[in-house]
Parts: sequence; structure tokens; C-alpha cells
Amino acid sequence: MTEQTKKLTKRERLANKVKVNLAMSVREIMDQINDQGNRPENMAYFDRIFETFEHGGEGTVQPRKGEKIIGTYCLFVPEELIYATGARPVRLCSGAYESVEIGEDYLPEGACPMVKSEIGFSALPVLSFFHQCEMLVMPASCDWKVKMAEILSEFAPVHMMDMPRVKEEESSRAFWLEEVKRFIKRLEKVTGVRITRRRLKQSIQMIQRAQVEFHRFHRIRKATPPVITGRDALEVMNAYFYDHVEDWTAAVSKLNDELEERIRNQVQVARVGAARIMLTGSPMVFPNWKVPTIIEEMDGVLVADEFCTSNRYLNDMVAVDEGTMSDMVHAIADRYLLPSTCPIFSNSVDRKDRLLQLIDDYQVEGVIYHILKGCHPYDVETKIIEKLMEGKGVPMLKIETDYSPQDVEQLRTRIEAFQETLKGRRG
Amino acid sequence: MNVQRIRLIVQFISFVVLTYGGLFYIDMGNRMPTFSCAFVDDNGGSCFLVGFQHMLARPFSEFWGDAGIRLLKVLGVVSLWAIVLNKAWCGWICPFGFVQDLLTKLRNLISIDMSRFAWMTRTRYKSVKYILLALLILIPLGIGNAMLGMPKLSRDWSAPFCQMCPARVLMPILNGDFSEIYIDFSSGPGMFLTTAAIVLSGLFFTTAFVKRRFLCSYCPMLALLSLFDKIGFTTLRKDGQRCTRCGNCSRACPMEIREIEEEKTMSNLVTQDCILCMRCVDVCPEDEALQIRFLNMPVYTATEKGFLQRQSGSSKEQVESEITKHD
Ligand code: SF4
Ligand code: SF4
Repeated sequence: MTEQTKKLTKRERLANKVKVNLAMSVREIMDQINDQGNRPENMAYFDRIFETFEHGGEGTVQPRKGEKIIGTYCLFVPEELIYATGARPVRLCSGAYESVEIGEDYLPEGACPMVKSEIGFSALPVLSFFHQCEMLVMPASCDWKVKMAEILSEFAPVHMMDMPRVKEEESSRAFWLEEVKRFIKRLEKVTGVRITRRRLKQSIQMIQRAQVEFHRFHRIRKATPPVITGRDALEVMNAYFYDHVEDWTAAVSKLNDELEERIRNQVQVARVGAARIMLTGSPMVFPNWKVPTIIEEMDGVLVADEFCTSNRYLNDMVAVDEGTMSDMVHAIADRYLLPSTCPIFSNSVDRKDRLLQLIDDYQVEGVIYHILKGCHPYDVETKIIEKLMEGKGVPMLKIETDYSPQDVEQLRTRIEAFQETLKGRRG
Repeated sequence: MNVQRIRLIVQFISFVVLTYGGLFYIDMGNRMPTFSCAFVDDNGGSCFLVGFQHMLARPFSEFWGDAGIRLLKVLGVVSLWAIVLNKAWCGWICPFGFVQDLLTKLRNLISIDMSRFAWMTRTRYKSVKYILLALLILIPLGIGNAMLGMPKLSRDWSAPFCQMCPARVLMPILNGDFSEIYIDFSSGPGMFLTTAAIVLSGLFFTTAFVKRRFLCSYCPMLALLSLFDKIGFTTLRKDGQRCTRCGNCSRACPMEIREIEEEKTMSNLVTQDCILCMRCVDVCPEDEALQIRFLNMPVYTATEKGFLQRQSGSSKEQVESEITKHD
């Protein structure tokens, strides 16, 4: 018995330590965020969500009455289906440095900090919403995720969704469609709710309405000079992880109204002449605000990003055609697979075109390619993207980093130099 | 306004004009490249195929005279029609296609799911329409001439395509004429062709509850019109960089065309099976990824806002906003 209590207290002590450390760094980042000055008033709604990280995640996710929470990893999990069962998806991709070390008990050191951080939060009671999930859904996207499912099943029931890697082929599409159908069955079992045609249609439209605001938000981001900083934009998108889609939509709608007012009144958030940067590469999740903070503190402005945690998250939309049940399911399956620009797929054509289009649309002057150490899919694509940028005549800076604050100074020097060159190129 | 609704109205008007126009003394000639069947008594303009097949059924030598000139005239008129309206004949005018679209609407109403061909199957059967087109030219020529070491074909083969065409059986019914529902037992070829027509008519109804525009994929008129794809006035443009290959277009395409999604480099995507129904543009979420042009003037362009409005049930005001309205 003493053996047991000792073990428990040790675990709890560790959890408390992580909690305190997390609270400290979140406070620091929130301060940096507030230091930006000239922030839109309506960002307060989103700040509140992230401030809860200081208090063990109490209130980060506020389930509605009777709502079960389904934890998701990656953006391949069809959220329309989860909402259709009356449950709430919460994306658990994590950016916290503090839990990385715990994760190393389960994964090799070479694993990317994101999966380590996620496992750490599942293993220890630090952020409460990690432990409120009825089920975790894990797409077999990258190799780390594939194994992570097995590790996580120690803590909660895990549903694996297998993923094809060659999305162009008929067989892969059929396979993925079957995986989506299998997910529906599992969801219905876990929640006890049958997904009917009406429910599915409603949840599809609910997310489409969020996408109306998402796309409006991104049209606003194209304004020059920008009316919102890149960090605030990342924050808005990151909040979608934890918020109910309807609440998020309402909040973004208000923010959009305010931002449009700003365009009219010519309010600016960056110095005129700041270097216009696009970030892409491995996902960036709060509180891993290291790189964007440096960019924007060093007289750059993050005008666009191509992250699965941000711009890519809601970009593609379900297109219902005939509106029968199978048509809608088919549309959902296609929406998550076909237009995806994730580097786990064999063909990088779609990602390349997307990047080029973003550069054109947002008048990007330089690209920063962010690789998390251990994140193989993005690493593998580096050379391809480098060549693409060369052809486009847009300078690119590759940075390889993790969640630790150790390399901040070194990154600052490199990013500053890069942004200076960008400005020098203007002639 | 919703383009599919406009299309439905245009289809309805052409259907009425072509099927009942004769009652109002409308006559748009009998050289139209569309299935407005000549056997429909009150037609207001009809398919050129029946006359065309009869004209071909003569010795080659006669083509050097009046017959040849008449043939050239027919081909001239047909080509002109085909260049000006190209595939819009199929998607916007053809009364036979319109009836198929109506049956699809009925299927949707009673929510029966559609099925799709396997990719291989779809590709394999693409050539059928060209084979039919070749036969509807070669068989009549074979009536007037001994070709390929074969004796002349009997007159029973005359206008072979019309004999087997399901539109001949079905469309006159709309004029209250049921007399085309028969099998011709008087000759071998007649029996073969008219039986085929009855079978195809049956397929016309049954497949409508499984697929969209099933028979169109095999239509020799589509084959003929597809010869004008590259020079037709209407084009379907794609901007490869803007296309995310989301697959919406090919999923919604009634002709199950895959190129519309896959192609990133070809700029004109009026492909051989395309009927210019413009459904793909409706469901394309990317600004200017797809665009219909007439004589190079944009007439219908894919937009994110339009897509969202059609799909999300949001109002125009919600989708657009003051500042970004005009970008
Ligand atoms: S719908 Fe538009 S974006 Fe999607 S694959 Fe077709 S053309 Fe490309
Ligand atoms: S490609 Fe487009 S216009 Fe052509 S048939 Fe298909 S949906 Fe209609």
C-alpha cells in the first residue's frame, strides 16, 4: 500500500511541477502577446482560452450540456461527423515544452517534440481536457502517430484511422472512404447517437458557416498594411482546437467586423516597411510561439502561414452535391483527403501550388520553413520547397528547432539577418 | 442567380420549343446536332442524323454531283451550330438529355443513391460513342457501295442509328404518339436494331435511378460534337495553380469526368465527354480556378464566396462583407 501511495504522490508531484512551469511560460507568452500593442479588442475572447493553460486547463474546453469530448490528432479527423453525434471534437496537438520530457519516457529522443508533449499530457494530470476525452482519434499520418496510438491506449480508448499515402489513386480513395465509414460506426457506438441525414447536414453547414468567417478573416489578412499580426491570427486559428465551432464562428465574426473597421480607418499593426513573411512547415501550436514572436519582434510581419494548425485547418470545405447520406459521407471523405497539402502524401504538387498561390495572394517577400526536430515529413520536403522558392525568386530560410527556449538567441540572429536581406532586396 | 436553375429554365424552354414548337409554326430546320427526334411530329426543329444517314446511302460516284453539295451543306450547317454552341447542345438544349436530368431530380427527391463506374470501366467504354459514330457513317455508305470486299448492304440497314435510337422510341410519346414502340420482325437487321432501341429505352429509365446521364456517355452526337471541343466558342478554363485538386468537380460531374480535377496544365478542359453543364464550376471553392468563357469572355467563374453561399445556406451579406465585397 505504501508503495502505491508513494508512486501516486511522485506522479502528482511531477504533474504539479509541470503545471507550475507551464503556467509560468504561458504567462510570459501572454505578456509578449499583450505587448504587441494596438491589438483588436475582440482578441480578448481568444486570449481567455489560452489563459486557462495557466490554471490546469480548467475551462479551456467548455462542454455544452451532455456533450462528450472526442480527442483528435491531426486535421484528418472529420469533425463534421463528431458534431453530428452531438459530441465535441477537441484537437490535442500540443505545443508545450514542459511535458516533452515526460513524453521521452515513452518515445525515443529523436521523436518530434509535438508527439512527446502530447503523450506527456496524456500521462500526467496537467491539462484537464486531455483526461476528459471519451475516445482519442488518431489518423495514421506520420510514423510517430502510428505508434503513438498504441502508447496512448494505456490512457484512453484510441480509434486509429488508417491513411493512404498516394491520394491520387482510385484504390486509396475507396480505402479512405471505408475508413471514414468505420469511424462513423465507432463514433455511433461511443456516443450512442446515430448519425442521420439531417444531423449530418446540419453539422456540415455548421462548419461551413465557420468557414465563411474563416475565409473572410483570410481575405482581411490580405489587406496591406496588415490590420492583424501573424501571432494573433495563429491564436484565432488555434482557438478552434478547443472552442465549440458555433462559439468560435460568432467570435471570429465579431473580430472580422472590427478588422474591417480597421481597414476603413487605416489602423495598422506593423511598421510600414516591415518584411512580409510567410511561415510554413511543421505545425505550430500554442504555447510554442517562439518563432512567430521573434519574426514580429525583429521588424517582420507574419502575413501568411501554411500550417495544418492554422491556414490549412479550415481552408478546404465539404461540397455536398446530391445531398443523400452516402453523397455527404463521400464529400466529407474527399474533403479531408484530396486537397490536403500534408507532406505525408507521395505527391507534393498540391502543396507547391498552394504555397505559390499564397505568396501571390499575400505579397510574401520571404518564406521561413520551420522544421521540428524529428518531424520527418516536412524535413523530407525541404529540398523540394527550396527549389520551388528558388524558381519563384522568393528567399527562404530553413530553421530546425524544437520546443526548448535554448536556441532563441541564435534564431533571433538568423531571422533578423534574413529579414534585413529581404528589405535590402527592395532596392 | 443559381446557374443550375438558369440551365434548367433554358433546358425547359428548348424542350418545349423542340418538342412542341411545330404546333406554333416554329421551324428551326432539320439540321440540328441534338436529339430532338425527327419522328416527333410536332417538333420545332430536329436532329440531322436521319437525313444525313439517308444522304450517305448512295454510290460514291454520286457524291461528285448535287448529292455531294447537299451533303456539304448539311455538314456546313451542323459544323456552324457545333462551333457556336459546342457542348451546350448536350447540357443546355438536348431534350433527351433534359428528360434524363428530370429523372435524376426525381431520384434525388426519393433519395436513391447514385453509383459510379470504376475508373477502368469508365475509360474503357469511352470509345463506344466513336464506334457508333463511325458505324452510322459506314453502314449507310455500305448500302450504296460494295466496300471492304463485302457486297452492298441491304436497304434494311437504312438509317441504322435511328432504328436503334431510344429517343425515336421515347420522344414521340411526349406528342402522344406511341407508334414507335415496336420491334420490326420483317428483316434481320430491322429486328436487331429495333430490339436494341427497345432495350436502350428500358435502360434509359432504369439507369436513371442508378446513374446520371447514363446514355450520354455512349451518344454518337457527343462524339461528333467533341470534334469541335478545341475550336468551339465556349471553353472551360482551369488555372492549375489555384486548383487544390479537392475533387469536388469530378464528384459532382454528371459525366464522371476525372480530368477536370486531375489536370493542372491543360487550359481548356472541355473534354470529350463534357456536356458543359457547368456543375463543376458551381462546386469549385477556389477563386478563378475554373471559368467558363464564351469567345474568350468570362461568363461564369468559380468563386469562394459563391461556393460558400450555395453550400452553407449563409446569406449573400454574410458571405460578402462591405470591405471585401469588391475585391
Ligand atoms: S473543384 Fe476546383 S479546386 Fe477542386 S479539383 Fe476541381 S477545379 Fe480544382
Ligand atoms: S466537366 Fe464540368 S461542365 Fe463538363 S460535364 Fe463535367 S461538370 Fe459538366
